[in-house]
Amino acid sequence: MSSDEIWELRLYTAGQTPKSLAALANLKRLCEENLKGKYRIEVIDLMANPRLAKEHQIVAIPTLVKKLPSPLRQIIGDLSDKEKALVGLQITPAHR
Amino acid sequence: MNMETTPPALSEADQLRQAIAHGEVDAFLVGRDDKEKRVLLLAGAYQRYRQLVEQMQQGAVTCSVHGDILYANQRFAQLIGVPLSQLYAAPLDGYVSVPDRARLASFLLVSARLSAIELSFSRRDGMQLPAKLELVSFADGYATILVTPLGQQQWASVAEDSLNLMRTALEGLNRASIADGPAKRSVELLAREINSLSRLVDEIRHSRPQG
Repeated sequence: MSSDEIWELRLYTAGQTPKSLAALANLKRLCEENLKGKYRIEVIDLMANPRLAKEHQIVAIPTLVKKLPSPLRQIIGDLSDKEKALVGLQITPAHR
Repeated sequence: MNMETTPPALSEADQLRQAIAHGEVDAFLVGRDDKEKRVLLLAGAYQRYRQLVEQMQQGAVTCSVHGDILYANQRFAQLIGVPLSQLYAAPLDGYVSVPDRARLASFLLVSARLSAIELSFSRRDGMQLPAKLELVSFADGYATILVTPLGQQQWASVAEDSLNLMRTALEGLNRASIADGPAKRSVELLAREINSLSRLVDEIRHSRPQG
Protein backbone atom coordinates (compact mmCIF):
# COMPACT_ATOMS: atom_id res chain seq x y z
CA MET A 1 0.00 0.00 0.00
CA SER A 2 1.12 3.56 -0.50
CA SER A 3 2.03 5.50 2.61
CA ASP A 4 -0.57 8.15 1.75
CA GLU A 5 -3.45 5.70 1.55
CA ILE A 6 -6.34 6.42 3.89
CA TRP A 7 -7.39 3.60 6.18
CA GLU A 8 -11.14 3.14 6.16
CA LEU A 9 -12.34 1.48 9.33
CA ARG A 10 -15.88 0.63 10.30
CA LEU A 11 -16.78 -0.17 13.88
CA TYR A 12 -20.04 -1.98 14.53
CA THR A 13 -21.42 -1.14 17.99
CA ALA A 14 -24.55 -1.84 20.02
CA GLY A 15 -25.51 1.57 21.35
CA GLN A 16 -23.48 2.65 24.35
CA THR A 17 -22.56 -0.67 25.88
CA PRO A 18 -19.29 -0.77 27.85
CA LYS A 19 -17.56 -2.97 25.26
CA SER A 20 -18.71 -0.79 22.35
CA LEU A 21 -17.42 2.33 24.08
CA ALA A 22 -14.16 0.59 24.99
CA ALA A 23 -13.69 -0.56 21.39
CA LEU A 24 -14.16 2.98 20.05
CA ALA A 25 -11.77 4.46 22.60
CA ASN A 26 -9.16 1.76 21.95
CA LEU A 27 -9.53 2.15 18.19
CA LYS A 28 -9.08 5.93 18.33
CA ARG A 29 -5.98 5.52 20.49
CA LEU A 30 -4.54 2.85 18.22
CA CYS A 31 -5.15 4.97 15.10
CA GLU A 32 -3.68 8.12 16.64
CA GLU A 33 -0.57 6.24 17.66
CA ASN A 34 -0.05 4.37 14.39
CA LEU A 35 -2.06 5.97 11.57
CA LYS A 36 -2.18 9.62 12.53
CA GLY A 37 -3.87 11.70 9.83
CA LYS A 38 -4.39 8.65 7.63
CA TYR A 39 -7.56 7.05 8.89
CA ARG A 40 -11.33 7.39 8.84
CA ILE A 41 -13.54 5.73 11.42
CA GLU A 42 -17.20 5.06 10.71
CA VAL A 43 -19.32 3.91 13.65
CA ILE A 44 -22.41 1.85 12.85
CA ASP A 45 -24.88 1.49 15.70
CA LEU A 46 -26.63 -1.84 15.17
CA MET A 47 -28.98 -1.15 18.05
CA ALA A 48 -30.50 1.59 15.91
CA ASN A 49 -30.45 -0.39 12.69
CA PRO A 50 -29.55 -4.12 12.88
CA ARG A 51 -29.93 -4.57 9.11
CA LEU A 52 -26.75 -2.61 8.51
CA ALA A 53 -24.83 -5.67 9.72
CA LYS A 54 -25.64 -7.55 6.53
CA GLU A 55 -22.74 -6.18 4.48
CA HIS A 56 -20.14 -7.71 6.75
CA GLN A 57 -22.07 -10.64 8.27
CA ILE A 58 -21.62 -9.36 11.82
CA VAL A 59 -22.38 -11.83 14.62
CA ALA A 60 -20.77 -10.42 17.77
CA ILE A 61 -20.49 -6.78 18.86
CA PRO A 62 -18.28 -4.82 18.89
CA THR A 63 -16.63 -5.82 15.62
CA LEU A 64 -14.16 -3.73 13.66
CA VAL A 65 -13.92 -4.05 9.88
CA LYS A 66 -10.95 -2.75 7.96
CA LYS A 67 -12.38 -1.84 4.55
CA LEU A 68 -9.26 -0.22 3.11
CA PRO A 69 -6.50 -0.89 2.41
CA SER A 70 -7.40 -4.32 1.17
CA PRO A 71 -7.61 -7.09 2.12
CA LEU A 72 -10.78 -6.69 4.14
CA ARG A 73 -10.24 -7.81 7.71
CA GLN A 74 -12.47 -8.21 10.76
CA ILE A 75 -11.56 -8.05 14.41
CA ILE A 76 -14.13 -9.16 16.95
CA GLY A 77 -13.98 -7.66 20.43
CA ASP A 78 -13.23 -4.44 22.29
CA LEU A 79 -9.64 -4.12 20.92
CA SER A 80 -8.25 -4.20 24.45
CA ASP A 81 -5.48 -6.53 23.26
CA LYS A 82 -3.42 -3.99 21.35
CA GLU A 83 -0.99 -6.52 19.84
CA LYS A 84 -3.82 -8.67 18.56
CA ALA A 85 -5.54 -5.61 17.09
CA LEU A 86 -2.38 -4.51 15.28
CA VAL A 87 -1.78 -7.98 13.88
CA GLY A 88 -5.43 -8.33 12.89
CA LEU A 89 -5.42 -5.01 11.07
CA GLN A 90 -1.98 -5.66 9.61
CA ILE A 91 -0.69 -2.39 10.98
CA THR A 92 3.01 -2.00 11.42
CA PRO A 93 3.44 -0.17 14.72
CA ALA A 94 4.75 3.38 14.29
CA HIS A 95 7.24 2.84 17.13
CA ARG A 96 7.84 0.18 19.75
CA MET B 1 6.22 -5.95 14.86
CA ASN B 2 7.51 -7.56 11.66
CA MET B 3 4.58 -8.32 9.38
CA GLU B 4 6.52 -11.14 7.67
CA THR B 5 6.51 -13.05 10.94
CA THR B 6 2.85 -12.38 11.61
CA PRO B 7 1.05 -15.70 12.06
CA PRO B 8 -1.82 -16.51 9.72
CA ALA B 9 -5.04 -14.77 10.63
CA LEU B 10 -7.18 -16.67 13.04
CA SER B 11 -10.26 -18.12 11.50
CA GLU B 12 -13.37 -16.08 12.16
CA ALA B 13 -14.90 -18.82 14.27
CA ASP B 14 -11.81 -19.12 16.42
CA GLN B 15 -11.59 -15.36 16.74
CA LEU B 16 -15.22 -15.28 17.86
CA ARG B 17 -14.61 -18.04 20.39
CA GLN B 18 -11.63 -16.18 21.83
CA ALA B 19 -13.47 -12.85 21.98
CA ILE B 20 -16.32 -14.48 23.92
CA ALA B 21 -13.96 -16.40 26.20
CA HIS B 22 -12.01 -13.22 27.00
CA GLY B 23 -15.16 -11.19 27.65
CA GLU B 24 -14.46 -8.75 24.81
CA VAL B 25 -17.99 -8.66 23.42
CA ASP B 26 -21.23 -7.75 25.16
CA ALA B 27 -23.78 -8.08 22.39
CA PHE B 28 -24.78 -10.41 19.57
CA LEU B 29 -26.78 -9.99 16.44
CA VAL B 30 -29.45 -12.67 16.32
CA GLY B 31 -32.31 -13.56 14.00
CA ARG B 32 -32.84 -15.96 11.11
CA ASP B 33 -33.09 -13.32 8.41
CA ASP B 34 -32.66 -9.60 7.88
CA LYS B 35 -36.21 -8.83 8.98
CA GLU B 36 -35.73 -10.66 12.27
CA LYS B 37 -32.25 -9.35 13.02
CA ARG B 38 -31.95 -7.70 16.42
CA VAL B 39 -29.27 -6.97 18.95
CA LEU B 40 -29.17 -9.21 22.00
CA LEU B 41 -27.28 -7.61 24.89
CA LEU B 42 -25.44 -9.67 27.48
CA ALA B 43 -26.27 -8.95 31.12
CA GLY B 44 -23.03 -7.03 31.67
CA ALA B 45 -24.08 -4.44 29.10
CA TYR B 46 -27.05 -3.50 31.28
CA GLN B 47 -25.10 -3.30 34.50
CA ARG B 48 -24.37 0.44 34.48
CA TYR B 49 -27.90 1.38 33.45
CA ARG B 50 -29.22 -0.86 36.17
CA GLN B 51 -26.96 0.77 38.77
CA LEU B 52 -28.18 4.17 37.62
CA VAL B 53 -31.82 3.14 37.92
CA GLU B 54 -31.21 1.54 41.30
CA GLN B 55 -29.43 4.58 42.72
CA MET B 56 -31.76 7.32 41.51
CA GLN B 57 -34.10 9.03 43.92
CA GLN B 58 -37.23 8.32 41.93
CA GLY B 59 -39.16 5.09 41.89
CA ALA B 60 -39.18 3.21 38.60
CA VAL B 61 -41.70 0.55 37.62
CA THR B 62 -42.25 -1.39 34.45
CA CYS B 63 -45.63 -3.08 34.26
CA SER B 64 -47.99 -4.57 31.72
CA VAL B 65 -51.10 -2.75 30.57
CA HIS B 66 -52.95 -4.94 33.07
CA GLY B 67 -50.77 -3.62 35.88
CA ASP B 68 -48.62 -6.68 36.55
CA ILE B 69 -45.20 -5.53 37.72
CA LEU B 70 -42.34 -6.77 35.57
CA TYR B 71 -39.60 -4.68 37.15
CA ALA B 72 -39.35 -2.22 40.04
CA ASN B 73 -36.32 -0.51 41.50
CA GLN B 74 -35.33 -0.48 45.16
CA ARG B 75 -36.46 3.12 45.60
CA PHE B 76 -40.00 2.28 44.54
CA ALA B 77 -40.06 -0.57 47.06
CA GLN B 78 -38.92 1.88 49.75
CA LEU B 79 -41.53 4.45 48.78
CA ILE B 80 -44.40 2.03 49.27
CA GLY B 81 -42.75 0.20 52.17
CA VAL B 82 -42.79 -3.26 50.61
CA PRO B 83 -39.81 -5.65 50.11
CA LEU B 84 -38.66 -5.59 46.49
CA SER B 85 -38.98 -9.37 46.22
CA GLN B 86 -42.73 -9.09 46.80
CA LEU B 87 -43.23 -6.75 43.87
CA TYR B 88 -42.31 -8.97 40.95
CA ALA B 89 -45.43 -10.10 39.06
CA ALA B 90 -47.59 -8.44 41.73
CA PRO B 91 -50.47 -6.21 40.60
CA LEU B 92 -49.48 -2.55 40.89
CA ASP B 93 -53.00 -1.48 41.79
CA GLY B 94 -52.71 -3.51 44.99
CA TYR B 95 -50.44 -0.72 46.27
CA VAL B 96 -52.63 2.15 45.06
CA SER B 97 -55.37 3.67 47.20
CA VAL B 98 -58.76 2.21 46.35
CA PRO B 99 -60.29 5.46 44.97
CA ASP B 100 -57.33 5.87 42.58
CA ARG B 101 -57.29 2.35 41.16
CA ALA B 102 -59.65 3.10 38.28
CA ARG B 103 -57.49 6.08 37.29
CA LEU B 104 -54.39 3.89 37.32
CA ALA B 105 -56.12 1.32 35.10
CA SER B 106 -57.08 4.08 32.64
CA PHE B 107 -53.55 5.47 32.73
CA LEU B 108 -52.06 2.09 31.86
CA LEU B 109 -54.59 1.32 29.14
CA VAL B 110 -54.17 4.66 27.39
CA SER B 111 -50.59 5.18 28.47
CA ALA B 112 -49.55 5.89 24.90
CA ARG B 113 -51.63 9.08 25.07
CA LEU B 114 -51.47 10.14 28.74
CA SER B 115 -48.08 11.19 29.96
CA ALA B 116 -48.64 11.75 33.69
CA ILE B 117 -51.14 11.40 36.52
CA GLU B 118 -51.14 12.05 40.25
CA LEU B 119 -52.48 9.47 42.65
CA SER B 120 -51.93 8.07 46.14
CA PHE B 121 -50.15 4.87 47.00
CA SER B 122 -51.20 2.95 50.10
CA ARG B 123 -48.05 2.21 52.01
CA ARG B 124 -47.72 -1.01 53.93
CA ASP B 125 -47.73 0.98 57.19
CA GLY B 126 -51.14 2.42 56.32
CA MET B 127 -49.87 5.88 55.31
CA GLN B 128 -50.94 7.39 52.02
CA LEU B 129 -48.21 8.54 49.65
CA PRO B 130 -49.31 11.07 47.03
CA ALA B 131 -47.11 10.69 43.98
CA LYS B 132 -46.77 11.75 40.39
CA LEU B 133 -46.58 8.95 37.81
CA GLU B 134 -44.86 9.84 34.56
CA LEU B 135 -44.76 7.57 31.55
CA VAL B 136 -41.20 7.13 30.30
CA SER B 137 -41.83 4.60 27.56
CA PHE B 138 -44.48 2.28 26.29
CA ALA B 139 -43.48 -0.69 24.13
CA ASP B 140 -44.56 -4.29 23.57
CA GLY B 141 -47.47 -3.89 25.99
CA TYR B 142 -45.29 -2.68 28.85
CA ALA B 143 -45.22 0.78 30.36
CA THR B 144 -42.21 2.12 32.20
CA ILE B 145 -43.20 4.69 34.79
CA LEU B 146 -41.25 7.08 36.99
CA VAL B 147 -42.76 7.62 40.43
CA THR B 148 -42.01 10.90 42.18
CA PRO B 149 -43.42 11.49 45.67
CA LEU B 150 -45.29 14.77 45.77
CA GLY B 151 -43.50 17.35 47.84
CA GLN B 152 -45.03 19.13 50.81
CA GLN B 153 -46.31 22.04 48.73
CA GLN B 154 -47.78 19.74 46.09
CA TRP B 155 -49.37 17.69 48.84
CA ALA B 156 -50.91 20.91 50.21
CA SER B 157 -52.37 21.62 46.76
CA VAL B 158 -53.95 18.17 46.65
CA ALA B 159 -55.40 18.77 50.14
CA GLU B 160 -56.64 22.22 49.10
CA ASP B 161 -58.49 20.68 46.14
CA SER B 162 -60.16 18.19 48.46
CA LEU B 163 -61.11 20.97 50.86
CA ASN B 164 -62.71 22.97 48.07
CA LEU B 165 -64.84 19.96 47.16
CA MET B 166 -65.86 19.60 50.80
CA ARG B 167 -66.73 23.33 51.03
CA THR B 168 -68.97 23.02 47.97
CA ALA B 169 -70.70 20.01 49.50
CA LEU B 170 -71.14 21.92 52.78
CA GLU B 171 -72.74 24.88 50.99
CA GLY B 172 -75.16 22.45 49.38
CA LEU B 173 -76.08 21.07 52.80
CA ASN B 174 -76.55 24.59 54.20
CA ARG B 175 -78.81 25.52 51.30
CA ALA B 176 -80.91 22.46 52.12
CA SER B 177 -81.96 24.42 55.29
CA ILE B 178 -81.41 21.70 57.82
CA ALA B 179 -83.35 23.23 60.74
CA ASP B 180 -82.31 21.25 63.73
CA GLY B 181 -81.36 17.90 65.15
CA PRO B 182 -78.41 15.55 64.61
CA ALA B 183 -78.11 16.49 60.90
CA LYS B 184 -77.53 20.16 61.75
CA ARG B 185 -74.93 19.22 64.37
CA SER B 186 -73.19 17.02 61.80
CA VAL B 187 -73.06 19.92 59.33
CA GLU B 188 -71.60 22.22 62.02
CA LEU B 189 -69.04 19.57 62.91
CA LEU B 190 -68.12 19.21 59.26
CA ALA B 191 -67.71 22.99 58.93
CA ARG B 192 -65.39 23.07 61.96
CA GLU B 193 -63.30 20.22 60.56
CA ILE B 194 -63.03 21.96 57.20
CA ASN B 195 -61.84 25.17 58.89
CA SER B 196 -59.37 23.18 60.97
CA LEU B 197 -57.99 21.39 57.92
CA SER B 198 -57.85 24.68 56.02
CA ARG B 199 -55.65 26.21 58.75
CA LEU B 200 -53.43 23.11 58.66
CA VAL B 201 -52.98 23.44 54.90
CA ASP B 202 -52.14 27.14 55.32
CA GLU B 203 -49.51 26.22 57.91
CA ILE B 204 -48.01 23.66 55.52
CA ARG B 205 -47.96 26.21 52.72
CA HIS B 206 -46.17 28.78 54.86
CA SER B 207 -43.77 26.40 56.57
CA ARG B 208 -40.16 26.14 55.38
CA PRO B 209 -39.72 23.67 52.57
CA GLN B 210 -38.24 20.34 53.60
CA GLY B 211 -35.50 18.74 51.55
